[in-house]
Amino acid sequence: MFKNYVIIAFRNIRRNLGYAFLNIFGLTLGIASCLIIFLIVRNELTYDNFSKADRTYRVTLNAIDFNSDVSMAIAPAMRTDFPELEQVSQIWYRHNGLVKVNNKRFNEKEYAFADEHFNGIFNYDWIAGDPKTALSEPNAIVLTESIAKKYFGDKDAMGQLIKLDNNIDAKVTGIIKDVPANSSLPFLFLVSFETIKKDMKNAMSNFWWIGGGFYTYILLPPNYPVQKLQSRIPAFLKKNWNKDAGKDVRLPIQPLKDIHFDQRYINNVVTPTSKDTYYALFGVALLIIITACINFINLATAQAIKRAKEVGVRKVLGAVRSQLIKQFMGETTVLVLTALILGVVIAALFLSKAETWLSIKIGGGQLTEPVVIIWIGCITILVIFAAGLYPAFVQSAFQPVDSLKNKTGKTVRGFSLRKSLVVAQFTISQILIVGTIVVANQMDFFQNQDLGFNKDAVVSLPIPNSAKTEVLKQDLVNNPRVKQISLSSGAPSYNSNYTSFSAPQFGVIKDDVTEVKDIDENYIDMFGLKMLAGQKITKTNIKDTIQHIVVNETLIHKLGITDPEKAVGQHIKMNGQPATIIGVVGDFQSESKHKKRRACALEYRAQNFFMASVRIQSRGMSSTIDHISKSWSALFPDDLFQYEFLDDHIASMYTQEQKVYTAFKFFSCIAILIGCLGLYGLIAFAASQRTKEVGIRKVLGAPIMSIVGLFSKEFVVLIIIAFLIAAPAGYFIMYKWLNNYAYHIDIGAGIFFIAIAASFIIAALTIAYQTIKAAMVNPVKSLRSE
Amino acid sequence: MIKITDLEKFYRTEEVETIALNKLSIEVKKGEFVAIMGPSGCGKSTLLNILGMLDDPDGGSYMFNSVEVAHFNERKRADLRKHNIGFVFQSFNLIDELTVFENVELPLIYTGVPSSERVKRVEEVLDKMQIMHRRNHYPQQLSGGQQQRVAIARAVVNKPKLILADEPTGNLDSSNGNEVMELLTDLNEHGTTIIMVTHSEHDARYSHRIIRLLDGQTVMENIMI
Repeated sequence: MFKNYVIIAFRNIRRNLGYAFLNIFGLTLGIASCLIIFLIVRNELTYDNFSKADRTYRVTLNAIDFNSDVSMAIAPAMRTDFPELEQVSQIWYRHNGLVKVNNKRFNEKEYAFADEHFNGIFNYDWIAGDPKTALSEPNAIVLTESIAKKYFGDKDAMGQLIKLDNNIDAKVTGIIKDVPANSSLPFLFLVSFETIKKDMKNAMSNFWWIGGGFYTYILLPPNYPVQKLQSRIPAFLKKNWNKDAGKDVRLPIQPLKDIHFDQRYINNVVTPTSKDTYYALFGVALLIIITACINFINLATAQAIKRAKEVGVRKVLGAVRSQLIKQFMGETTVLVLTALILGVVIAALFLSKAETWLSIKIGGGQLTEPVVIIWIGCITILVIFAAGLYPAFVQSAFQPVDSLKNKTGKTVRGFSLRKSLVVAQFTISQILIVGTIVVANQMDFFQNQDLGFNKDAVVSLPIPNSAKTEVLKQDLVNNPRVKQISLSSGAPSYNSNYTSFSAPQFGVIKDDVTEVKDIDENYIDMFGLKMLAGQKITKTNIKDTIQHIVVNETLIHKLGITDPEKAVGQHIKMNGQPATIIGVVGDFQSESKHKKRRACALEYRAQNFFMASVRIQSRGMSSTIDHISKSWSALFPDDLFQYEFLDDHIASMYTQEQKVYTAFKFFSCIAILIGCLGLYGLIAFAASQRTKEVGIRKVLGAPIMSIVGLFSKEFVVLIIIAFLIAAPAGYFIMYKWLNNYAYHIDIGAGIFFIAIAASFIIAALTIAYQTIKAAMVNPVKSLRSE
Repeated sequence: MIKITDLEKFYRTEEVETIALNKLSIEVKKGEFVAIMGPSGCGKSTLLNILGMLDDPDGGSYMFNSVEVAHFNERKRADLRKHNIGFVFQSFNLIDELTVFENVELPLIYTGVPSSERVKRVEEVLDKMQIMHRRNHYPQQLSGGQQQRVAIARAVVNKPKLILADEPTGNLDSSNGNEVMELLTDLNEHGTTIIMVTHSEHDARYSHRIIRLLDGQTVMENIMI
């Protein structure tokens, strides 16, 4: 009997290739999307999946902000005071390093100095070397597999020598497999902490010395409640650094598994992301698969009329309803399995491109992992039942007497159901359109609007040796394609330095935090910061005892001053030293828009000019950069030239959002496409069902447009009903999403207008061909066929 | 074999109630060949559908092999039907997606006959109907006469006690029609009871007895000699 079902399923597919194609194509896209989204979400939700992850914590610092990194003094003290901890490890993370191997030089973005305890916490896969000792000696380096290959090719990397930042000679003592892509601590190689320990002597003992990048990880013994450790921290701080250490400062013990999702923290290597975003993406996967199932139900019930005779014959020959249900479910299974095979193939192909398209690295090999196979199985079963059950029940209910007389066509049920399903599809696509537009607008707002400075055509270059700053500047000035130059500790969106400030006369008695930017006299003009009062920064003598500063609006608001003019001439203390406010600038965006803008002070301090910002002509940018590269390399022969466009740097603050935006855009398009397939099938069917009606109307004199209107009228109503559901739902969902950001756009009426207009256009394009075709048929022909 | 007494069937729309069968009583004995005739709308097809247990009567009694079946549920009717009754339709009602062999095999599948036995029986009956050479063809590839022979093969493959034929020659030319009638006669001579609805006096002459219906009632019975 089963064989018979399969045979008839295949023959039906062959006879109705068009419908089968719409069904299989829709389901294939749906299944592939679901699978890809599952892998993306799994990838994000399983960050830092180390074997001891549930016992691993990071010691963090919370004074005003939540800092991911703490003083170097913490780790040794914890080792002494909490001997029950299985491991305490600290690493010094570096975002930039110059590596020399033989005569080749490489700029590497991610590496770390790690102590010998590091491998006791994180179980990387070791290819060579001893995890216990590889990092215990000074000048030892452990490479990841791909870096070892990059530096030494097929040669054995063990024991080879590497020069780091022109001053460290390191010997390769271990090789590990590449760090998983979903790690909050990505690195290309590890250098033993012992290498830098002697240079860090002061830092090692000073609690207040926070150099940035000292991540401290601890491994709790099994079943050791973290609250117990947390409650002992204040006493620990008091004992080691006495006095006030514990009063203003807390050391939150953060679970490793939370790192990727706790957005309060700054200075993370990988920007934390919101779990909600991935739940939302998962929601999109569900919507896609629902859309695909709706297609299936719509097409199958519409087609049911064609199958009525077969149902009748089978019932006459003795089939009972349950047998027919099994038969139709069998056919659905064949279609779904076909779609499944194609879907898995598409997913595998997509995953090989996912890194380029979505900046997410997921190996195609994951498709064969048990949990993924179980997921595939679940999707398949879900789809078979969701898509197949209703049509099977409808079709198997046909009465043989009616179906043999072809009476079912007039009485077939489920038309109102089909209408509801079409409404559901339009609702889904409109919500996705609203969502995609809101995310797109917010992305534009992040990167281009309301920044408070001019970011156009600015390139940032490092200055490796401050002795040559002036020479470099002269070189750049002489380049006719360079329009403006400014030296500073960093362009407006590079924020890295903070200091404390107080102003007792304005009631700021307790230290508050301000960002500090060391800038030259050209900075304010070049970046177009808006002067609100007073004067700009001028070149000042370093020996001046009172620092002249220009502050932003947020800072003067903290002082309780609203009129910028009144702030000019006031004194505050920065890092305990007196400073005079000589000017006020409007706020500008120095960090990502996830957070509220901070107080900021600009000062002239030539020894901190680590970066040159250069505005170049927009014509011939790459040759200008080549030119700059040559003079730069001539000045700094030991270093490798690197540069970054300011807008790229700004964009890099929003990589997580960009990733999500790309994913939403992509999968929304797929959901809409699947919906269109269903609509196309449905209208094709409606057109064929109404051939006779169209013929009669035409004989009675109906023009083509009125026939097209006849078919379209219904969909207009359905789209409007869908809009009434989608608009508030979309508004609510996206309003919640936007509230994740300190600064965000408003959801205007325009967005909803675009959504409904897009629905009409998509629907019109989808149904146009079929309706016009139906309307153009010669009535003689359509009436004869009845 | 069949005894119906005071059988009633109404068709209702919102405003009109049409009487299809009006207290009809008929008896058919085992081995008989009965033709039912009458103008369009006299209730012939309704009667045949009720006899074939494809439809419920609204009143009266239907005894099949001395069992009252008028109020059987769908499953029981299907069960009784598949073991006892074969159908032949005017429009053949073969399943387009199945080959000749598979169409004929279908009733055996639904009665749970094992696969090897099915092949044997289907081949046997196809041979008898002289369409063995067409076993792998699809219905659309056959002439009308051939299609009806396949339909008859399908009707008899389960060795039913009763064959219900609804204008079996209605879509055929006279020579194919005669062939079909010969086949039915032959089946009847081998013991199968046949009830046939027809418009054709010529076909009716193949039967033992003609029941004429008008407005859902018997108006006349002719015994053929």
